[in-house]
Amino acid sequence: MLMVGLLAACGSGSSGNKEAAPNGNSDGAKAGEQVTVEFWTISLQPTFNDYFDKLIAEFESQNPNVKIDWKDYPYDAVLNKLMTNISGGDAPDVVNLNTELANQMGTKDALVDFNQELTAEQKAAYFPGIYSSTEMNGKAFALPWYTGLPVLFMNKDLVEKAGLNPDNPPKTKQELNEWGRQIKEKTGAYGYIFTMEARTLLEENLPFLSDDYKKAAFNTPEVEEYINENLQLLKDGVIPKDIINYDKQVQYFASEQVAMSLSSSPFINKIKTAAPDVYNKMLAVPSPVGKAGIRYSNTMNIVVPSATKHKKEAVDFAVFVSNAANQLEFSKIANTLPSTVESAKDPFFSENDGTLEGMAKTVSAVSLDKAEDFYIGVESAKDVNEKVTKALQEIYLNGADAKKTLTQAENEVNKILGN
Amino acid sequence: MKRTPFFTRFGKSEASVAWFFMAPGLILLALFVFWPIIYSVPLALTNYSVIGKTEFVGFDNFVKALQDRSYITSLVNSLLYVIVVPFIQIFSILMAILVNSNVKGIKIFRTAYYIPVVTSMVAVALIWGWLLNQNGVINYVLSSVGLMKERITWLSNKDTALWTLMFITMWKGLGYYMMIYLAGLQSIPKDLVEAAMIDGANRMQTIRKITIPLLKPYVFFCTLISLMAAIRVFDEVFILTMGGPGDATLTSSLYIYKQGFQQFNFGYSSALGLIVSVMIAVLSIVIFRFNRKGGVNPY
Repeated sequence: MLMVGLLAACGSGSSGNKEAAPNGNSDGAKAGEQVTVEFWTISLQPTFNDYFDKLIAEFESQNPNVKIDWKDYPYDAVLNKLMTNISGGDAPDVVNLNTELANQMGTKDALVDFNQELTAEQKAAYFPGIYSSTEMNGKAFALPWYTGLPVLFMNKDLVEKAGLNPDNPPKTKQELNEWGRQIKEKTGAYGYIFTMEARTLLEENLPFLSDDYKKAAFNTPEVEEYINENLQLLKDGVIPKDIINYDKQVQYFASEQVAMSLSSSPFINKIKTAAPDVYNKMLAVPSPVGKAGIRYSNTMNIVVPSATKHKKEAVDFAVFVSNAANQLEFSKIANTLPSTVESAKDPFFSENDGTLEGMAKTVSAVSLDKAEDFYIGVESAKDVNEKVTKALQEIYLNGADAKKTLTQAENEVNKILGN
Repeated sequence: MKRTPFFTRFGKSEASVAWFFMAPGLILLALFVFWPIIYSVPLALTNYSVIGKTEFVGFDNFVKALQDRSYITSLVNSLLYVIVVPFIQIFSILMAILVNSNVKGIKIFRTAYYIPVVTSMVAVALIWGWLLNQNGVINYVLSSVGLMKERITWLSNKDTALWTLMFITMWKGLGYYMMIYLAGLQSIPKDLVEAAMIDGANRMQTIRKITIPLLKPYVFFCTLISLMAAIRVFDEVFILTMGGPGDATLTSSLYIYKQGFQQFNFGYSSALGLIVSVMIAVLSIVIFRFNRKGGVNPY
């Protein structure tokens, strides 16, 4: 409560951003006027200073009236800092945010709508599945920037010990389950790590919300059947019964308690540090897909707060940072994936130098066209996901009755959706 | 010319001097503690989200809170967490008595018991998380000695998760309260104990009739602060379970944090915070009254 009060007290009056009301800003500087565009990124300094210095210098030379003031904050600090600044009427102009935060802010009318600002050609530069992840009610709250796609990391030793051929990895969730069973049976290790999140239903193309997004639609026999399959896997020890957060995922894989893990590139460095011997046994293959045939991507976006005082310059800079050429250059130095169609065609993404990093890069790059940033397209998406995830945890971990728990979650989600 | 001392010129009473020295602290407290708390009251009557438009919503947030199943669960969990208070007091008094003895090398134990207090909660929680996982050391030891057949996922099971967190909280806090009780024990006049010994009282009798009664002010203080800490518990829950599985370990502080800093519902989270503050105030008043009437009389 103290923190809430402090934050609120930072603003002026009960609506801290009254002066910079949503969409109530100037469209840009007057001709010839010198403006400073404040640009915030997350944890990119000092590693990428050279890249950004060059990028900023190039933009400034193309736009002599604009000066970019680049600031970088750690992930944990950026949200609080952003809210404090907006509340105090000192919003930055261009900000790097993940999809969830971008959507959270967007639904409160705090971000500029890129569908209004961009031409059809500019929008077509991005992979549609990724661009649409921040679209709601016809508004697009963010420009996708760099992204990451999960790949399946395998412990080659454990896989071979189970009599499986790592050169012919599982391609579907069904095959992944079969591999998991065999690994458990032959080696005693868990097959793979399973996150009990709401998005697992979407990956299997199972109903989630009604077509008009007005009602919960997950309380069906198909969902129950899918849950029962997973319950059996948990019972048979194919997947561990712990709630697997990222750190635990690293822990399980690094200690060879689990043979396969769906994760993205940063996972490699974690294992390399935690268990170099396990790193040497690792392979990266494309992640198996569920019945929906999509792969969950984890995208970093560029947003422009609607409280910006220089909307035009901010939008121009956001487009510049995330254009195909600049994304390609950034991917090359940061080992990330681009969200632009053109950059992904570069041979860099199909070159595999034989290292694990090279493997992960090529297998994830070929999956970009199947990439979707999981988002269910309603204002209270976070609440809805949380309710469904909690219901799934109750069933998977605590033996709650599936039908009863799904019905209860359905009622709660309907309530959130305003029914 | 004879110079008048500064404080005599500033004010004549000792109280003025006291206020003078307290002023910097009070100003900071007023700015960063009292004002935000006061400001939370009108805030709780709005839909304040920092980033969106703010509207007055009256008592809607409070009405919503009373119908919010997750919030009710979080309050119940926070109240359940209070169970940790008597245990933490009993064990820390016993530990204080133990480390107050004149046994050789006892200072090492004092230090050892205090280490968890100065260790960051993040480190403590991560280590316990590692020890408690399905294939962790604790399950290994318990199954090796035949104490259990199936490995328990301590933090992923709704029947064990909250109790496990309570245990971690107790483990970390014991040393802190032990030091307070140790200070209390060392302030007890030795001649009282010696007189009792001469009169024929044994060790247990001196503890029961002299030590514990004289520790009463310390028990009152420690109970009060540990009760408040239990209701406000956040760090270990945030790091280890995030309120899960389901809502099994969702505490009021965590839910307030989630509503405010994850969902941007600051108006609502202010209302939730006020409800918890009132609860803590009521409990504190009850404890004060209870203590004024004599509290638990062990003799």
